[in-house]
Amino acid sequence: MSKTIDRETLLKIRAAERFESLSRRRFLRGAGAAIALPAFASLMPRDAFAARKAALKAPTRMAVVYVPNGAIPAAWWPAGDGGTNFELPRTLAPLANVRNHLQVISGLEDLCANAGPDGAGDHARAGGTFLTGVRIKKTAGSDIHAGISIDQVIANQIGHNTRFASLELTCDAVRKSGECDSGYACAYEYNMAWSSPNQPLSPEHNPQFAFERLFGQGSPKERVANLKRRQAEQNSILDFVLEDAQGVARELSGRDRQKLDQYLTSVREIEQRIENTTKMRVENPEIDAPAGVPVSYLDHADLMFDMLLLAFQTDSTRVATLLMAREGSNRPFTDIGIPSGHHDLTHHKNSAEIIEKVQEIDRWYVTRLARFLEKMDQAQDADGQSMLQNSMILYGSGNADGNRHTHDNLPILLAGAGGGAFQTGRYIKAKPQPLTNLFLSMADAMGTQGIDKHGDSTGRFSA
Amino acid sequence: MSLKRVFRITAPIAALAFVFPVARAATATPIQTYNSTILPILEKHCFECHGDGYDKGKVAFDLLESDKEILEPILWLRVLNNVRAGLMPAEGNPHLSADEQATLERWIKRDVFRLDPARPDPGRVTVRRLNRVEYRNTVRDLLGVDYNTEHEFPPDDTGFGFDNIGDALTTSPMLMEKYVAAAQTVVAQAVPLIARQPVAKIDTGMVFDGKGAGSKWGRRQLTFDTPADVATAFKTDLAGTYRVKLDLEVNGSYFPDPGKARVVVKVDGQEMVNQEFVYHDEKVFTFESRQKWPANSNHAVTIELTPTAPAAKKETVIDFFVNKLHVEGPLEPAHWVKTENYERYFPREVPKSRDERRAYAAELLGAFAQQAYRRPVTDNTAARLAALAEATYTQKGKSFEQGVAHAMAAVLASPRFLFKLEEAAPNSAGGIADVDDYSLASRLSYFLWSTMPDAQLMELASRNELRKNLNAQVERMLKDPRAENLARNFTGQWLQARDVEGIASNPRQIILRDAGEEETQRKLRQAFMKQDEEAIKRLNDYIEQVVDSKPEFSKDVRKAMREETEMYFAYVAREDRPVTEFIDSNYTFLNEELARMYGVPDVVGKQLRKVTLPAGNPRGGMLTQGSALVVTSNPDRTSPVKRGLFVLANFLGTPPPPPPANVPALEASEADFKGHEPTLRDVLKVHRENPACASCHNRMDPIGLAFENFNAYGAWRDSERKQPIVAQGNLITGEQFTSVSQLKRILVNDHREEFYRTLTGKLMTYATGRGMEYYDVDTIDQIVKRLDEQDGRFSALMTGIIESAPFQKMRTTATVTAAN
Repeated sequence: MSKTIDRETLLKIRAAERFESLSRRRFLRGAGAAIALPAFASLMPRDAFAARKAALKAPTRMAVVYVPNGAIPAAWWPAGDGGTNFELPRTLAPLANVRNHLQVISGLEDLCANAGPDGAGDHARAGGTFLTGVRIKKTAGSDIHAGISIDQVIANQIGHNTRFASLELTCDAVRKSGECDSGYACAYEYNMAWSSPNQPLSPEHNPQFAFERLFGQGSPKERVANLKRRQAEQNSILDFVLEDAQGVARELSGRDRQKLDQYLTSVREIEQRIENTTKMRVENPEIDAPAGVPVSYLDHADLMFDMLLLAFQTDSTRVATLLMAREGSNRPFTDIGIPSGHHDLTHHKNSAEIIEKVQEIDRWYVTRLARFLEKMDQAQDADGQSMLQNSMILYGSGNADGNRHTHDNLPILLAGAGGGAFQTGRYIKAKPQPLTNLFLSMADAMGTQGIDKHGDSTGRFSA
Repeated sequence: MSLKRVFRITAPIAALAFVFPVARAATATPIQTYNSTILPILEKHCFECHGDGYDKGKVAFDLLESDKEILEPILWLRVLNNVRAGLMPAEGNPHLSADEQATLERWIKRDVFRLDPARPDPGRVTVRRLNRVEYRNTVRDLLGVDYNTEHEFPPDDTGFGFDNIGDALTTSPMLMEKYVAAAQTVVAQAVPLIARQPVAKIDTGMVFDGKGAGSKWGRRQLTFDTPADVATAFKTDLAGTYRVKLDLEVNGSYFPDPGKARVVVKVDGQEMVNQEFVYHDEKVFTFESRQKWPANSNHAVTIELTPTAPAAKKETVIDFFVNKLHVEGPLEPAHWVKTENYERYFPREVPKSRDERRAYAAELLGAFAQQAYRRPVTDNTAARLAALAEATYTQKGKSFEQGVAHAMAAVLASPRFLFKLEEAAPNSAGGIADVDDYSLASRLSYFLWSTMPDAQLMELASRNELRKNLNAQVERMLKDPRAENLARNFTGQWLQARDVEGIASNPRQIILRDAGEEETQRKLRQAFMKQDEEAIKRLNDYIEQVVDSKPEFSKDVRKAMREETEMYFAYVAREDRPVTEFIDSNYTFLNEELARMYGVPDVVGKQLRKVTLPAGNPRGGMLTQGSALVVTSNPDRTSPVKRGLFVLANFLGTPPPPPPANVPALEASEADFKGHEPTLRDVLKVHRENPACASCHNRMDPIGLAFENFNAYGAWRDSERKQPIVAQGNLITGEQFTSVSQLKRILVNDHREEFYRTLTGKLMTYATGRGMEYYDVDTIDQIVKRLDEQDGRFSALMTGIIESAPFQKMRTTATVTAAN
């Protein structure tokens, strides 16, 4: 692919690589080491029966990675009519090493994000509808209402196989105060996963906490024991508070009751998790936990991807979401010479100079993805395949052209074959259809049963 | 619209009722009044755009058909707000007369909203979870532990611009997990598990001194390259066994290195450690020895380091830190002393018998739960907690104290701690009741302090005497240091002052744009691409010089900006100043750095203090404080649109509707401005030429442009891109101004009522934890009236809110009874 890259771009890539290598943190070396280990050992289930099954087939995993503000279409879409013979365009060029694992899919749309009678707020809608496929209620906070998100629908069926039914991560460490987009509650932008129409699942932004939640606190040698000791103590606490909550909930109604129900559901889920930990092996990556949130966004993004990788590698979960930045994010990208905010730039007034900057940002994100996908590809799975081959990493945005806030022909790519469910290395020019159709097909690949409708879906994905 | 006008209206309402047809409202139905009295007003003033075939903004009054459509509160709330703000009738159409407006307001409030001033509706607050600020403060007050929730917990979702809104605060499994873990951690930190323990003396490595002793990051540093011999001496009084513990650390740089060193540690000349250390990036080694020491004896610990293999490269330093020396003893129990804080949690000796133990546990835990739940608990709750403690302390190897601590952790994870559960006083009538004294105590303390009620509030509540002493208590609470939380959390969100420390800003870029040096920057980029070293150096030096000529927008300045806004609010509250000083005054709060940024002379030192501004300085009031100017800017330039919106939304209460769904592409590329790079005024002018944009941007942009003399990080500037700045403009309501100072005066003099109403609504939202609804209009109007009668004093606002129905009362459809 390198022949499509001009000299200036190449210089920038080299500079970024050098920057990256200098700013690597201690942890990343550790993570690199862990990734060199065969994932096989980590994935061996305890009982022999399951082991026999696993020998035949490694689990399928899925992650959804969200990027805000769409992508400049001209630099995102490959030329040509699709098929296996396509060149990666400028924005996707960093994916050259995993090209054969990709499906670049056009034609997908999220029409629930269109304005309809609700007026402005395309960013909140693009974020809030992306995985739910429903119209979200326009409210400043009194009655948020979206829908259950596809990752949670899938986790509800297969989540019992792993210690964590699902994992929610974000690279947005700071929230703005005040109001969000055009009268929509901030919850729609900052949360991708929804376990019910009014229960967003807040994502973790601190890589250290994400790590400790998965594997326990303390030194590599102590952490699993620490985790188990803590959980053992928690059991009787949870019993006590559950009784309290049931008592309180009986006396409440309406929205008050809803709040207590969220509490009750959460307590029960933790109890389930603790039970799973006693039944399932806690795979301990023998590396140090990351030391909090890195200063540089690049390091932060890479670390969150590393956490995702570790979670998959240790089979702690098979369903995950990673929000690179909230929809509408106005983050500047100073390390690649772009001091202006991403969102402001996407309204580019057709200025070639500004479009150029947005493309650079689009590619910055894709470069982070590429690094992750390459690591996934190098990790060997239980069946000897590349872990990427056995997974589905959906990457994209609920905005297509950020300048005009369009929600058709979304920039979407699906990496990994889902264990063979998909034929990769293709650019698919699909007929216009809801993004949720692709989700149904992904749910099938995850081994779920009977998920025939999600949000605005009209059927399974078809090219 | 001026205040005087309103009070000409409200005062004679009662009189009007006898003279004008409105008097029939007592018998006429709302629809009859609409047809007889309201429609004629609408026809006269509104049909130009909202009737006779026009439905601007999708409102056509003559198309309202059913009674339900006519009496739709949301529609009339919009009418009320727009008419009061002078936005309707729109430009060019005659305004309503005072009488007409009074008639309209009265009909909206009484017939559409069905408000009864004698029985105001308190509204419904959804049960509120403690947000992470409240949790942190509450745990600190309860257990004396500062648990950094901003670090540990995910951010709380916000509603109506605030993070304490019951409806918006959700509980996810991850958060619950964190609550349980936090409860365990906090209790482990706070509650001592043993009654007595040996005396311990812990020193940092800095007590070691001698040959080769360096220091780094405030720690005693030796290195693998340099021979060292350091020592410390101390004296012990009592005879007995002592434990000596030493923490050492190898801390190499990023790259592994073959350097090695041998280290010998001696206690009173006896070898305790003799070991060769190799490279580690960061590893702590702990060594321990026991010593039998006589009474009144002197001791020395020495550390000797000898390099055994040189480091590979000169620049690679392997540090060897001496972290801590810990001397504990005598270890014989006869010499042990009481553990710090033990008596706070365990005031008596732990009894021996099983029954007595259980009773003691129930007593301790009942009292703790009462504090934590902020209301009395039943015997049953205490007994359940005691049983939980007993299940732990009867386990092998567990102490009574451990059992009690475990049950305390359960209290902190209970919904009765995590949620503000409220209860009605027994005076409920017609679905409305006072909240009980305990609920009121919590409402007050979380409003004014963002934390749990203190002992005095709880004591008054227990005697049902809080309401009797309300004014004195509020006064006491506002003087308490905890009231800083109101300043911090309210202004932090009302004016987003919280964000000023974290928001992305690129001062370098801002300075270069202001100075019109973007072209130089482009040249520098080209020079980089051509690898033209000479040009790179020349251009770079020039740019550095331009940037360095401006005061630095540092971390400290950002912090000072946040504190300035908080202190300003706290000052107005504490000194009971007129709230209009939030808009305009001749003072602010500065330290040296911030004063330099603002161009105010003679302020020395780091501490912020009240500074009277020199005549002509435009900084008085919150609108021109750094925090407001920065949070309304983009990372690289100002945003007059955001600034205009900020003033309209947060001070005047009339934010324009959000932009239309399909924003027309702004084709005005910067190439259109031949001769110079366009200023924001140039760009926005083109913007407003588009009629689709003009109706709202004519309201926002002139206000925002008045602030153009303040750059994107809040410093004064006279030009942008080498073009002089023009701050002149006019409000949509007609008033003209030529400077930001004049704009402030117009806001204070001619828009005071809107400001009062907006501020009241914001503070009510924060105080009650719910958004303001149409049925709150009367309540807010009463507080606005009170503010006007008392020259805008802060106390009028505060007492108005605290005495209001939404703060004092609740609807009694869903209540919680005492914890059982």
